[in-house]
Amino acid sequence: MSFLAPLYLLLAGAVAVPLFLHLRRRRIENRVDFPAVRYLERAEKDNVRQLKIRNLLLMFLRIATVLAIAVAAARPIGAFFGAGHVPTALAIVLDNSLSTSAIVNGQPLLASLRASALDAANAATGSDRVWFVTVDGSVTGGSLDAVRQAISRTDVHPARGDLATAITRATGLVVGSGLGARQVVVVTDAQATTWNAPLATGDVRLSVLAPAGTPPSNRAVVLAEARPARWTPRGAVVARAQLPDSATYRIALGEQTLARGTAREGEDLTVRAAPSGRGWRAGVVELEPDELRADDARWFAVWLGAAPRVRPDPAAGPFLRTAVDALVQDARVAPGDDVALGAADGILRLPALLLAPSDPSRLGAANRALERLGLPWRFAQPRRDQTAVRGERFDGVRASLRYPLEAQPGATGDTIATAGGAPWIVAGDGYVIIASPLDPAATDLPLNANFVPWLGDIIAQRLAGSASALLQAVPGGAVRYPAGVEGLEGSDGQVTPIAAGAPAPTRAGVYFLRRGTERVGALVVNAEPDESDLARLPIATLRDRVRARDAVVTADRAVWKRSLFDVGSRRPLQLPLILLALALLVAETVVLRRGERLGDAA
Amino acid sequence: METSRATRADLIDPAQLASLGRMEIVAKWVVDGFLQGLHRSPRKGFSVEFAEFRPYQPGDDLRYIDWKIVARADKWMVKQFEEETNMRAAIVLDVSKSMDWRGAPSRLTKLAYAEQVVAALALLLIRQKDAVGLIRYDETLRSVIPPRARNVQWRRIVSALEEGGAGNDSDMSAALVQAGKLVSRPGLVVLISDLLVDEEATLNAVKVVRAGGHGVTVLHIMDPSERDFDVSPEGVFVDPEREGLRLPATASEVQEAYRSTVDHAIAEWRSKLAALGVGYEVVFTDSPFGVPLRRAFASRQRLP
Repeated sequence: MSFLAPLYLLLAGAVAVPLFLHLRRRRIENRVDFPAVRYLERAEKDNVRQLKIRNLLLMFLRIATVLAIAVAAARPIGAFFGAGHVPTALAIVLDNSLSTSAIVNGQPLLASLRASALDAANAATGSDRVWFVTVDGSVTGGSLDAVRQAISRTDVHPARGDLATAITRATGLVVGSGLGARQVVVVTDAQATTWNAPLATGDVRLSVLAPAGTPPSNRAVVLAEARPARWTPRGAVVARAQLPDSATYRIALGEQTLARGTAREGEDLTVRAAPSGRGWRAGVVELEPDELRADDARWFAVWLGAAPRVRPDPAAGPFLRTAVDALVQDARVAPGDDVALGAADGILRLPALLLAPSDPSRLGAANRALERLGLPWRFAQPRRDQTAVRGERFDGVRASLRYPLEAQPGATGDTIATAGGAPWIVAGDGYVIIASPLDPAATDLPLNANFVPWLGDIIAQRLAGSASALLQAVPGGAVRYPAGVEGLEGSDGQVTPIAAGAPAPTRAGVYFLRRGTERVGALVVNAEPDESDLARLPIATLRDRVRARDAVVTADRAVWKRSLFDVGSRRPLQLPLILLALALLVAETVVLRRGERLGDAA
Repeated sequence: METSRATRADLIDPAQLASLGRMEIVAKWVVDGFLQGLHRSPRKGFSVEFAEFRPYQPGDDLRYIDWKIVARADKWMVKQFEEETNMRAAIVLDVSKSMDWRGAPSRLTKLAYAEQVVAALALLLIRQKDAVGLIRYDETLRSVIPPRARNVQWRRIVSALEEGGAGNDSDMSAALVQAGKLVSRPGLVVLISDLLVDEEATLNAVKVVRAGGHGVTVLHIMDPSERDFDVSPEGVFVDPEREGLRLPATASEVQEAYRSTVDHAIAEWRSKLAALGVGYEVVFTDSPFGVPLRRAFASRQRLP
């Protein structure tokens, strides 16, 4: 038994009052002349046992009444005929990640997890506060009916989701509830790749139910990629499958099947092709169906078209020229005048890759060139310091001479890399500006192994015609859309407008980026490859990952249900104690008045 | 004083009645009311010389119903006889300290109530031409008035009632033995007491009196608070005659047992006195004076 207001237990000291009254009887000072004392004496003598019992009974009833009131005031919580529980803030976290769509015993695993979550909700009462949280970030609160309906409606999230964040959010909800009893219950498939780090809920009780037994074997496509992303028009599709044995596969691009065969564990599948079409195309790598259907296909996108024709400015240095030669040899670009590459002060038209001048004295001419080309960026005064460059594919790159880029009013575009907090590479409609000359004395970018592929991609995506971005995302995940993208075109041709910061669609597939009527890129949405690994953590290991007070981690549903609502069968005892006190008072009155009534009757 | 049924002095509250006048006056009212209730002439009694018939009234002795008239006329008639004074009676009154007590200010003390009963009874008997004497006692014999049938005897008795008493003990045995001696031939002894005395000694004395051929009637005077134990919610209860006997008690706790004990004591007195052929009546001090008077008068009527 515990008490919500233990200070009120001090009221129990009032038991001294009936005790005092009982003992005081022998110290009465009030003298009363009464001739028939002999009858009184005889009455006490004849009824001494009865009187003692009656007096003790009265004293006991009065003491018990005072104790019952004092304990009731302290708001005790305890077991009472094994029913009910203390009002609890309960958050039910349901792991509805992609892996829970696996078929187990003839039904999706999510169905049994959902049933367990419903058990928890059904055990709640109107005095509890209950929330329902899923790994896709959805939170449902309010009435119990609303929570139950939300649980029943919950479907598989097409990605891994974020179980750790869901539990953290659930913990925050119960902590903020203001109720003394708080509990987070988690129903999960115990996937090892999900429970890869410790989870803590602090003082909030945590009860985790995970299925027992071995998960079903799963075949999944974990890699599907077009290399390069821009085929001019040749290219290759690289695919990899996670297989317990072997399985038949199919690789398709648009309506065309590029390859079929049998895949084996550990093998990369590479299919080379030179399709005849032009523009963005969606491709898929498929395996034969198994217990987890969602990862039996993986999507990719590729741009088909002629190689962009580029011409590097000889004055831009040997590194740029050498890189372009390598791209020409690989047929990713062709010599020509479509795209200009060189120092900014020498560029006369767009599209172009514009480099900062190697000589600071050319700074003014370079900025005038930018102004003449209508670009909303200007080179600032040169900085000579060893500064790390931050940006995707720029790990380890440093800049020792840079002209920080300053945005002009109304500037739009993407900052691809920064140095010293200032834009270092920016891109926009038909231009890419690098804030250092491609010279080892200014930056080690041209010496980096990623330089040539990056240059090829940047020419293909930013400078060659209308083709631009190829984006990857997980279903419902965050996406950073290039400037100017207005909508997403689905596989059915429907265009959905998008706003800044909008997440990726929740259905896996390829979505083309639309600017007006033009496809300017593709968004490929696939679930995380890790989600296809259905291996479960053993219960003991899972228990080690949980850092919480009185944590219960079990595969036994009955044990888990008993752990719900703090202490199972505890409830406020205030009302029963008040009723007990009233009953004791009635009993005391009956004992007290009984003699008087009998006397009156006599 | 009017003697209609509504205002008959023997039927109204004794404390109210006693507040209306001196003892002699009140006694006369009581006796007049009592006799009116009997519908008897003070000069008519149930002696041996027939005087007349009258209709039967409740309370009449069934021995005097004329059964022949009942059989012939289907009317209940009783025979009345010319009075004849030949009975000697002694009233023994306990005037110890325990009698000088009342449980509520609205009631008479047991002693005051008993004295009024004595005065009325003596007057009634003297009007019946009986000889009446009085013995008052506490730890000693306070007054001894031999039985006489003259009218002045009643004045003498009333005067004696105004003398002191309230001693710390009750020597009832001596008083009863003395009463037996005063009533020289078989007569009536009326004991008026709260019976807070030694039971065995009292019964022995009663046996002695009964052995002398006397009829004995005991009027057990009790204050209602002595029956109900409602004098105080709690306190140290002290016997006024025996200071050493003091008991702390809470009324609500012992009331039930106390009442049971009192009932038992009354039943015991009743059965033991009945075994000796002694009439016994419990009289509460809130009862009208007619109650004890009727009881004592009935005892007298049973005697020759």
